[in-house]
Amino acid sequence: MAASYMKIDPIKNCPFNRDDSPFGDVVLSSRARLARNLDGFPFVHRSSSSDCKEVSSLIKQICDHQPDDATLEWVNLDELDAQSTELFVERHLVSSDLANATHPRAIAVGPELSRSVMVNEEDHIRIQSIRPGLQLDEARKDVEALDIRIEEVIAYAFDEQLGFLTACPTNVGTGARFSVMLHLPALRIIKDLQRVRNACEGMSLAIRGYQGEGSKAIADLYQVSNQVTLGYTEEQLCSIIANDFLPPVIEWEREARKSVASNQYSKLEDQTHRSFGLLKSARMIKLHEAMQCLGNIRLGICLGLIDSIEIKTINKLFIEIHPAHLRHLYGIDTPDAEICSLRSDLLREKLTE
Amino acid sequence: MTTCDYCDQDAVYHDVQIKNGVHKTQNLCKQHATEAGFLLDSADLSIVLNIGESDLPSKSTAVACSDCGMTIAQYKEKSLLGCPTCYETFKNKLKHIIAEVQDNHLQHIGRAPSSEGVDVNRHLEVLRLLKKLDKAVNQEEYEQAATLRDQIRELHDGGELHEN
Repeated sequence: MAASYMKIDPIKNCPFNRDDSPFGDVVLSSRARLARNLDGFPFVHRSSSSDCKEVSSLIKQICDHQPDDATLEWVNLDELDAQSTELFVERHLVSSDLANATHPRAIAVGPELSRSVMVNEEDHIRIQSIRPGLQLDEARKDVEALDIRIEEVIAYAFDEQLGFLTACPTNVGTGARFSVMLHLPALRIIKDLQRVRNACEGMSLAIRGYQGEGSKAIADLYQVSNQVTLGYTEEQLCSIIANDFLPPVIEWEREARKSVASNQYSKLEDQTHRSFGLLKSARMIKLHEAMQCLGNIRLGICLGLIDSIEIKTINKLFIEIHPAHLRHLYGIDTPDAEICSLRSDLLREKLTE
Repeated sequence: MTTCDYCDQDAVYHDVQIKNGVHKTQNLCKQHATEAGFLLDSADLSIVLNIGESDLPSKSTAVACSDCGMTIAQYKEKSLLGCPTCYETFKNKLKHIIAEVQDNHLQHIGRAPSSEGVDVNRHLEVLRLLKKLDKAVNQEEYEQAATLRDQIRELHDGGELHEN
């Protein structure tokens, strides 16, 4: 029920509350995800309701028996109200497909809502870890530790040649998807984003918008992830992003920021303070506009134009201004029509503190 | 009459599979049985007892996965396979698809489940106990349910297997 989720406060439990965000000026967050299936069961889309329940109870038993320093809270999504489910979607813990499905499905979440196990999505299990800044290898270790504890008890569908067997062959092998969320406003301003796209193409990486597959870039936020999951070790897949792709991209964005600061200073100053002023004054604001203004302010903070706000405040606001988070803060029954004004209330409060 | 696993219609196709000691039953209405590749054009096919992976081959299952009934045509609709056995059933066709989406890689070199760690017997025992637990709870036999729950807990804590 909804109450079982509310034991974890999504505002207090946020990876962005921490201060450690390596390369946080460009890298917003790092995410690792493993797709796994149980041997002896059909994949989820071919499973009967009783198969799904059986898989779910088995995984629940394991999640209920995690060590004290790695506890997971179990939430049955088919019993959860739409509002709380949407909170998980906004935190990138549950996909929209899983949120809208009707079969028995669940999620087990750890403190900070950074580690999670999604049950009966496209695959029986999706183990995930999200960390702030560039901590891809740490996120990989998080999911591997959980994976090892699960495989001690259950038999995974595994093949010597093809590795971990997944419902979609695009995930077969390691079943691993590593991704980073990047903030690239200056490369957009100097119209040099194509360089990043070319780098992605050359390394078999996918570049997407804030919401992942099929989404457009908002607030100059881009998600980059590995496309290939077979033929590499998990460490190699991580290293392609963290050691081959990111260092030059971080350097390009930092150089572009310096160039914008010296060649287009007035324009940058205007954009930063116009966005800051708008968010501190508006009485109603839509999500997309608020996100873009936050992105502009973030760039201004990184270049020293604003020093009264911390980057982590902006990172948290990117999440907290979404509708389900606002409803959690201001009341579950808030009508849609009032969301825009609540969003502006929150932004004024956080940006004038 | 039993209803279909996927809708409220009466099931006309009943399948019991036993793999690695696990019983899996499937009950399908005419529409879902046809979609799954089981051609039900005569009444005498209304009950098919399919034991193991390759017993009782029939023309209806020849092109479908022996474990889940998936056909390659159904795979192409959603780009999703039906079960782990599909990888073996459609090995030749999948080889090209996998090579295309995985940059021509066809050999896994990443982590494998630890052979010492995986205890299939324990996995199956837990499954068996969970089924019994479900039944006990449904029949309101709470004393038995508590015993079963303790046994499952003990299995997860690495305790000895209990024989019933």
